Amino acid sequence: MANIEIGIRDEVRNVVYEFFSEECEVPRNELSNTTNVIKDLEGDSLMFLELLEIFKKKYKLNVELKTVGKYVVKHPAETIGAIIDMTMLIIEHENNIANLD
Amino acid sequence: MKRIKVVITGLNIVSSLGLNLEENWENIVAGRSGVRTITLFDPSHNETRIAAQVPDEFETYAARFCKKRIAQQMTRATRMAFVCAVEAVQKSGVDFNAADRRRCAVILGVVSTGNTSVERENAPRNRIIRNMSNAMPAWISLHYGLEGPNYAVNTACASSAYAIALGYDLISRGSADIVITGGADSSINPEEIEGFNETYALSTRNDAPEKASCPFTKDRDGFVLGEGAGMVILESDESARAREAVIVAELAGYALTSEAYNIMAPLTGGEGMAATMRIALRHAGINAGDVDYINAHGTSTTLNDLYETMAIKQVFGQRARSIPVSSTKSMIGHTIAAAGAIETAITVMSIRHKIVTPTINYHTPDPELDLDFVPNNSRAHKIDVAISNSFAFGGHNATVVLKKY
Repeated sequence: MANIEIGIRDEVRNVVYEFFSEECEVPRNELSNTTNVIKDLEGDSLMFLELLEIFKKKYKLNVELKTVGKYVVKHPAETIGAIIDMTMLIIEHENNIANLD
Repeated sequence: MKRIKVVITGLNIVSSLGLNLEENWENIVAGRSGVRTITLFDPSHNETRIAAQVPDEFETYAARFCKKRIAQQMTRATRMAFVCAVEAVQKSGVDFNAADRRRCAVILGVVSTGNTSVERENAPRNRIIRNMSNAMPAWISLHYGLEGPNYAVNTACASSAYAIALGYDLISRGSADIVITGGADSSINPEEIEGFNETYALSTRNDAPEKASCPFTKDRDGFVLGEGAGMVILESDESARAREAVIVAELAGYALTSEAYNIMAPLTGGEGMAATMRIALRHAGINAGDVDYINAHGTSTTLNDLYETMAIKQVFGQRARSIPVSSTKSMIGHTIAAAGAIETAITVMSIRHKIVTPTINYHTPDPELDLDFVPNNSRAHKIDVAISNSFAFGGHNATVVLKKY
């Protein structure tokens, strides 16, 4: 399990905002935690997978895509804020995320 | 069952002669050639090294229409389809917010999205999305939120003519109000060219690219591959009139047939082609004597041009020699899945502007092919009824009948 350090949420937030700003060609200051990735940014479902790959490498996470997929089906993350929350859970619990409700 | 009248309210073309309808029309009326030496890849290992490539500024132009991420999920051909469709919709004035989106459809002719080795070198990711032959209509439907039928049809060189005919059916039987239809293709890649060269279908006149596509002449030595997109916005007459749209023509009818003869060669004597034109005229309720112009399939191949000429004579009899017949492919090459829609668009423009566009490079007549091929120069000509032919490998034939509105 990855070691959650103080300030890591800010780091995740920064990566997520940069990612959506770059990929969706939207200025960062126009994004907020309530921005809906599909409806507001014309994003797509692959974006979360790409972010997951970024964080897997960045934090050397032991997490399988199918495990995250099962969790996401039960707990959809549609906004930027929800994606940041989900990422924090994945970093904290890695494959054990499957055991969460 | 009474058929609902189908009209055309929007057109657009992307081809080697321009990135929109207006540029294309100007260049085609002027009889210019879009054929040049291939620059999309190094063609030095190919027997044919010429094609009608879309202008280099296309990618910059396309960037105005879709975000980088979406563009990366599309192939060049899919981007052409998308850009062409968005501009066709703009020209039609359709506001999908005011329409019943469940009654708006997208039907495109697609042979391949063209995710070839050249494309994959530059864009190795998104292979499935880029490969999906349904990607072109899907992106258009996604862009506008259209919830009606949405699919691709593949009948090789007749694909987009088939798409137009299927769109006609949806509207005429009352299942849709608006159909975005057409097709796109970008087959200018080493594999396709090698394949077409194997079948001796392509011109090898590499030293004179702009002269290589010369349909109906004695010098013809095969077609020139082109790329591009053509879009035709079909609409019920009632829908178009209700929103006070500019109606550019009526789609009066069509025929779709299969020759069931040979995987490549057309039926001897043009019998299949003639049958297709006859059925289309009957479907449209038009007498052969009322046809004022024929936009030919006219590929510049030995058999197609011979048999299409014979077929026109069979259908139109003594009058055949007095009907202008021209080949758009002489200027923009053969755009495969896009050809039927591009040529339909040109035919509609011909009706509206009372101009028949030329068959360029017509310098050495073939004595066997003795129709009025509108040699080299456009001509003023009043057109009330015209037909556009598409005849494909596999024996898929289509003729669409267009009427002045």
